[in-house]
Amino acid sequence: MAAPSYGLIATFDTTPDLYHAAEKVRDAGYRHWDCITPFPVHGLDKAMGLKRSIVPRISLCGGIAGFCTGMSMIWWTGAVDYPLIVGGKPLFSPMFAFPVSYELTILFTAFATIGGMLFLNGLPMHYHPVLKYEHIRRGMDDQFFLVIETRDPRFNLANTKALLEKAGGKNISELEA
Amino acid sequence: MAHAEHAATPPAILQEVKPAVLPRAVMVANNRSFSWITEKICGIIEGKTPTWWWVCFILACLVASFTVAGIAYLIATGVGVWGHANPVNWAWDIVNFVFWIGIGHAGTLISAILCLLRQKWRTSINRAAEAMTIFAVVCAGIFPVFHVGRVWYAWYLFPIPNSNAIWQNFRSPLEWDVFAVSTYGTVSVLFWYVGLLPDLAVLRDRFYASGNKLRSALYGFFALGWRGSNRHWSNYEMAYLILAGISTPLVLSVHTIVSFDFAVSLLPGWHTTIFPPYFVAGAIFSGFGMVLTLMLPLRAIYRMEDLITQYHIDCMCKITLATGTIVGYAYAMEFFIAWYGANPYEGFAFINRAFGHYAWAYWIMISCNVITPQFFWFKAVRENTSFVWILSIFVNVGMWFERFVIIVTSLARDFLPSSWGYYSPSIVEIFTFFGTFGVFSVLFLLFIRFLPIMPMAELKAVTPQADVHGGGDHH
Amino acid sequence: MSSTHAAIASAALPAGSSTAATASKALTVGIVGLVLTALGVAVTPDKHGPVMSYLVGITFCTSILIGMLMLILIHHIVDASWSVVIRRQFEHALSAFKWLFVLFLPLLVLAWVKPGFVWPWMDLGHELHGHGTVGTDILYQKKAGFLNLNMFTGMTLAFFAGWVWLSARLRKASFTQDLDGDIKWTFMNRQTAAFGLPIGALTLSFAAIYWVKSLEYHWFSTMYGVWFFANCIRGALAIGVIIMIWLWNRGDYKGVLNTNHFYSIGMLAFAFTVFWAYITFSQYFLIWNANVPEETFWYNLREVNHDGSTNQWWYVGLVLLFGHFFVPFLYLLSYKHKVVHSKIKPIMWWILAVILVDMCYNILPALKDGHGDSLPFLSLNLLWVLTSVVGIGGVCTWSYLKSFPTAKLLPIRDPRISESLTHHE
Repeated sequence: MAAPSYGLIATFDTTPDLYHAAEKVRDAGYRHWDCITPFPVHGLDKAMGLKRSIVPRISLCGGIAGFCTGMSMIWWTGAVDYPLIVGGKPLFSPMFAFPVSYELTILFTAFATIGGMLFLNGLPMHYHPVLKYEHIRRGMDDQFFLVIETRDPRFNLANTKALLEKAGGKNISELEA
Repeated sequence: MAHAEHAATPPAILQEVKPAVLPRAVMVANNRSFSWITEKICGIIEGKTPTWWWVCFILACLVASFTVAGIAYLIATGVGVWGHANPVNWAWDIVNFVFWIGIGHAGTLISAILCLLRQKWRTSINRAAEAMTIFAVVCAGIFPVFHVGRVWYAWYLFPIPNSNAIWQNFRSPLEWDVFAVSTYGTVSVLFWYVGLLPDLAVLRDRFYASGNKLRSALYGFFALGWRGSNRHWSNYEMAYLILAGISTPLVLSVHTIVSFDFAVSLLPGWHTTIFPPYFVAGAIFSGFGMVLTLMLPLRAIYRMEDLITQYHIDCMCKITLATGTIVGYAYAMEFFIAWYGANPYEGFAFINRAFGHYAWAYWIMISCNVITPQFFWFKAVRENTSFVWILSIFVNVGMWFERFVIIVTSLARDFLPSSWGYYSPSIVEIFTFFGTFGVFSVLFLLFIRFLPIMPMAELKAVTPQADVHGGGDHH
Repeated sequence: MSSTHAAIASAALPAGSSTAATASKALTVGIVGLVLTALGVAVTPDKHGPVMSYLVGITFCTSILIGMLMLILIHHIVDASWSVVIRRQFEHALSAFKWLFVLFLPLLVLAWVKPGFVWPWMDLGHELHGHGTVGTDILYQKKAGFLNLNMFTGMTLAFFAGWVWLSARLRKASFTQDLDGDIKWTFMNRQTAAFGLPIGALTLSFAAIYWVKSLEYHWFSTMYGVWFFANCIRGALAIGVIIMIWLWNRGDYKGVLNTNHFYSIGMLAFAFTVFWAYITFSQYFLIWNANVPEETFWYNLREVNHDGSTNQWWYVGLVLLFGHFFVPFLYLLSYKHKVVHSKIKPIMWWILAVILVDMCYNILPALKDGHGDSLPFLSLNLLWVLTSVVGIGGVCTWSYLKSFPTAKLLPIRDPRISESLTHHE
């Protein structure tokens, strides 16, 4: 094959097969590898040795930013820039500023969550070697793939292939980069 | 750090003990495979547009044109074309606004609260319910925006510097509404879109395989290059859970703020502290009514009985029953406290609701909202799909009347008899409201034609074969 | 997983009898607490303080039990699974309702012997601050059909009858299923839940109105029952976690509970923290914003004296805002704080403490001085609140521990037991 290789891809037909294969690849010490599944498989994170996602921290930052934005906006517009007495209410009170600040907290949290998720996942990325795989459609449908990248320090075409075979992988083939 | 390991398999001792057996309802009936689900749902989009769809679509467009015409007439003439007059300056517009917003809430409830409560049955209805939310918010938004009269000044609602150098009045609940509803609309769209991501990738690859490059590119553009990577799923699921987590307080806050429109005032019948949770319960109640109204025909047309099973219908009926009863609690508590508070104006407002000029509306409300759902106690009723559908219509009607009763009866009987009045809608108002059902239907029909009406990835995840330990019951 | 199996084997047996010693200790502590409270009544010249403190104590303990009752009913109505492992402990605790009734009797007797001593509206001759007497008060006259001694007595008896009866049904069905494994008990519980929830909702609302809200009988708020409900559930969840950890440390729950049980109950505690804040904020906010004197006076009593100076209750209000909401909210956001035993336990004790402060906030300002101002929060009354809680809580704990060995540790034949034991996120 002339084109440089991205990695090896193996096919599994059922979730338990993939789960056990992932455990084997994890135990073999690989780091740059991935599973392709049509739906989130429960327990697979553990089988792959993934840590708990850090999206919540990004969300929390967004939420705090939103709350502060709301409170300071209402304080500045109402009590500093153009003070105006309406309905006998104070120029600023956290009471009436709360509903809007609360909504902005949620709005900013939502943006931070989705932005954070896309950022951590490196999306959008419309081009990816895995997407060029000829059977990728099945990976979105009813089959499961396991990909080990060539850049992994432990990658060795023969050994890695053997590992995937031993783990029950079928149709093991190389992915074009 | 003392905490237990995850126990994956049920302990063997249970086989000796022999617990009572009560199998869980299956979420996907008839043991369907992953690819069956994909075929079933994508097939709707890929197949030829059915005739009934065109018939409905054209009909819906015609109905929607009533809203367009009504609004065009309003813009050309002025907000006086609606039947508002002192003392009733809020009427159908706000009734319709609250009605539509309330309907939207079930969508968020199904996708968010039921997600947090790990109610797996939500999966087959959440996509359509979320779509319903968005379209309902669109319909709801029409009314307050055009009620401002000179709609081209609607941007004054947002804190954008303007030549008067004056800022929005953040002490007004109407300004809170602006933020609540626009946040709600935005977050609902985002939540819906995030849920759609993996399914758009499925469609991208399927259209590519079948040679339809244009549609593949379109779906592919919005799929953002999703490739089903488990490293992605890990972040994705966390993000989805957080979105569910924040949508829950969001949906509560939106209807809470809507209830503040009334409750922060001093008007008898409006100023009562239970309004926030009572409005929220009412919103969920009406939303589930609408979900049943929409999903039961869809289920029949697309032969979705394996995906929307009797169990799903049971669950929805029971939630309708529960929230309807909570609404009943609130009606009763309001009446009781109106008496207990011993304020003559408050007492009059409630007596007037039940026995005054608008008593007909009040009793429609009571019978539709409190009595109708009580039928759902009975299994035979829940299993009769047509009857459930009819009852769901009653729920929708009842909740519209609830808002009418709250808004109009309180305004029409002000503190002084000299400022009493009787409100009737103008024909323009009636047309505009009638047309919103068309607007909603047009959007919903487009949705079921071009987007997967059920989340395939989530449905697959609740099937027995998704379990990494080889399907729960083999032990 | 062999250790799991070994631990479950012990769970199938009747639960350990080693609670007997602890039970008698709890009873001793409880009686000491009650005696101290009685002593407080005896030594205080103005008996109002200790008696009101006792009302705080009994409302607090009853609210927790109501919360447990409601949680079990909700568990059955939604056919929940993970909570099966903790449900049995709540069922044991429900045995204390009858003792709570016995402990409520002194207040009921007092109401007849000295009407108006606790609830001023019971005494028509009671002097209102600058407004004549209760009997001549138009607001009382309008409410007299509801606020009278006969209604109060009858309703209080009905509340306890309802709770004891629902508890007995739930306990019987659940305990019997342990023995015969018959599915009909599950259906019976579901039925109990279906009519029990409306009964529970109404009784707890009216209990809150009669026992607490009517202390300031001019005041009204439609939200009050919901506020009480929020506290009930939060208290019950907190006690639930504390029991879970206690049984874990004792060894009974080893191999039964996993991380996800703690995560789930922690999530519920978090959710109800938000719910409580929502309800409490809404009530305060609507009254603040409308600014009508007939409602705001209730909060004014808790914020300012007649001369406009800030009183201690204002700071108690802030303690509630931060302690009852912000602290548990921010703390429970973290996953670790929900699942690590040493981290979730302190916050649950904290929540219980602030619920008690919330009860004080709602009850104790009814004690007033000659100017009609609320007596300060920091006083000897706090001691009597503590002795009452220890006393009544001790009796409840004793009742729980006495019930504990009479049934298996877990509802071992519940149809959802397997799902519960393998509960995952």
